[in-house]
Amino acid sequence: MRFLRSLVPSLLLAAGAAQAASSWGFDEATLAVGSKKADGSVKEKFSEKSLPKKTVDFGRTDTLKIILTAKEGGKAKRPHQAFLTLQEPETGLEAPFVFTTKENGKATVELKHSDLPVQLLKSAKPLKATLTLASFGSSTGYNNRIFDVEIRPDPLAVPPVYEKPLRYGKLEEIHHIFKADPQSPPKVISMVFALIVAAMVPILLIATFALGGNVAHLQKAFSTAPVSHGIFYGSIIAMEFVFYMYYSTWNLFQVLPVIGVVGVVSLLSGSKALGEVQGRRLAGER
Amino acid sequence: MTSLTSFLLLLFTAVAQAISSSGSRLLVVLEDVAEKAQYSKFLGDLEGRGFEVTYETPKSDSLSLFHLGERSYDHILFFPTKAKGLGPNLTANLLLQFINAQGNILLALSGQKQAPTSVVAALSELDIHLPSERTGLVVDHFNYDVTSADEKHDVLLLPTPGALRPGVKDFFSPATPNGEVLALPQAIGQLLGNGALLTPILRAPATAYSYNPKEESEVLGDELFAAGKQLSLVTTVQARNSARLTVVGSADMLTDQWFDAKVKKVDGKASVATVNREFAKRVSGWTFNEIGVLKVNWIEHHLNEEGQGNQSNPKIYRIKNDVTYSISLSEYEWDHWAAFQVPAEDDLQLEFSMLSPFHRLSLKPTVSSEESTTYSTNFKLPDQHGIFNFKINHKRPFFNNIEEKNTVSVRHFAHDEWPRSYAISGAWPWISGIGATVTGWLFFVAIWLYSKPTGKGESKKTR
Repeated sequence: MRFLRSLVPSLLLAAGAAQAASSWGFDEATLAVGSKKADGSVKEKFSEKSLPKKTVDFGRTDTLKIILTAKEGGKAKRPHQAFLTLQEPETGLEAPFVFTTKENGKATVELKHSDLPVQLLKSAKPLKATLTLASFGSSTGYNNRIFDVEIRPDPLAVPPVYEKPLRYGKLEEIHHIFKADPQSPPKVISMVFALIVAAMVPILLIATFALGGNVAHLQKAFSTAPVSHGIFYGSIIAMEFVFYMYYSTWNLFQVLPVIGVVGVVSLLSGSKALGEVQGRRLAGER
Repeated sequence: MTSLTSFLLLLFTAVAQAISSSGSRLLVVLEDVAEKAQYSKFLGDLEGRGFEVTYETPKSDSLSLFHLGERSYDHILFFPTKAKGLGPNLTANLLLQFINAQGNILLALSGQKQAPTSVVAALSELDIHLPSERTGLVVDHFNYDVTSADEKHDVLLLPTPGALRPGVKDFFSPATPNGEVLALPQAIGQLLGNGALLTPILRAPATAYSYNPKEESEVLGDELFAAGKQLSLVTTVQARNSARLTVVGSADMLTDQWFDAKVKKVDGKASVATVNREFAKRVSGWTFNEIGVLKVNWIEHHLNEEGQGNQSNPKIYRIKNDVTYSISLSEYEWDHWAAFQVPAEDDLQLEFSMLSPFHRLSLKPTVSSEESTTYSTNFKLPDQHGIFNFKINHKRPFFNNIEEKNTVSVRHFAHDEWPRSYAISGAWPWISGIGATVTGWLFFVAIWLYSKPTGKGESKKTR
């Protein structure tokens, strides 16, 4: 088809009169665009050899009218096919409009915005207008782009709605998550703060001893009540160990009985051990 | 040994039935059974491919599409008839019932004979429209056969159609090494609705148009039926149940005359052969389920995590589990099942959905054998619990619809499945804080129990 389109004008130009005897063409064409009420319609005369050069502005209230005389081999004649085809350049969608033809070859077509399909009305680029004149028999048809039409929508009117029809094919990929996984700060920062916290323990030890804290009564306490002190302090360590086991492996039902046992042990041993501490206080040693 | 024998037996039955994937009973409806001589090559090709052909005329009393509620035939082929209707055995309703029962129909129409009313009614149910008064002839003054239609221009010469759009497999373009063309004599054009089930195989060229040869032979009326690419010359419908109907606008293109004809384009220097025979084979083969048929062999999904069981197709997963999904597909090619290759620029997509898809992923081929291809993907389940479907909804032009749904539950994390706090680096300061508190407490207790007051403190206390 592309080949044919390029062929026809070159034939017309190169072969000229010899070819014209058996091919379709036109003459005395008028293009008029404008609204009927106002007389501001733009008229432009054109022919096969001098096609309109400018893009035609086609406003919302305008009527686009073309009058021409179709000729076969230079003689005015009525063609069977006289179409003005508007094509959307991006999608290639076409809308044909039939000329009303007369016996003497005079052909008229008139169109308004309401005649155009919505896909063409929404076109962002100028539409290509192609004129096709052809008929039965051996004459070569005329099929050429004659001008471009720019659709000027009414800025006040609601733009036409066009929903693309469903066509089966692959769809957009979806990767939906509601909430991304929580992120930790860089490990170095966590490590620094963990070390600062851990460093408080030796600071606490040193500060306590510097302020006069000591364990000088250790020997005395253990010589007075060795069993109860040993068990009491041991039970406090054991309680911390139970908590550690709860954190790492045990469940609540394993933890509770052990806490009960350790608690009773610290209660019994504690009353003895704390009695010893009280004894030291009463003796004025604390 | 037994398994080998049964396998061989299966192979033999497969070879014996080497025809359409959905049955071989073909009904051919003609005006007169003698007319089949015109189409002898086309019908001979069909019989050669293993179809059991029954010839009937619409007037025949014995003609019945259904017997005891079951289809009597798997496929129907209509050639143009003269009568206005097709009689009580072939009403529009029965034809649609036949499609609903997964029967396939190939409909050859002609621009010279009026289409039967029941066919027109059935087609309009499918949103395929024929010209008014059931007559219309497509002419193109730029692409006609100079040899046979120099005056009337009603033998259209078209190149092979090519792929419909990027990503759609081209089933219908025979090889044309010497510039062979399709010849469509006396074609009737169809106008298609906007539905997704309709797909044109062959459209008219941009300069073609349809007219009524009885009334508009001199001058075209105001009402142009359609022109250019809007005119579909060979149209397909694939219903939701994958039943197929094809409308061939030119029955003459299937005749012996046009299978072997030599044609000459308007600007062509030499005559070329037509590729009608190969095109007719492909169109009829597609309609009668010999090509473009997909089959799911199996579907498998499992956990894809280290140290976890990989049981096949479990009923339950946990949120954020890594999962592998695989599906094995085969495509029928004339007489055997072959590996299915997704066309370039297309994808086989898996949806993981609860009401609406949470994930839509492209499956990649992993294992390919002669008879099947396995497509699979790995992905992380969404962070939402509920009842989900692994869903394959593969609807593509010219392929039968594949809809597969496997339902699984997706549960929450159990309380002991969360990561431990030491595994979270942001928790390390807090963990060391607990350690410091514990050590500090033990130290405090020791000091409280065993500290000896210094002199200063004693003096304060005694005072």
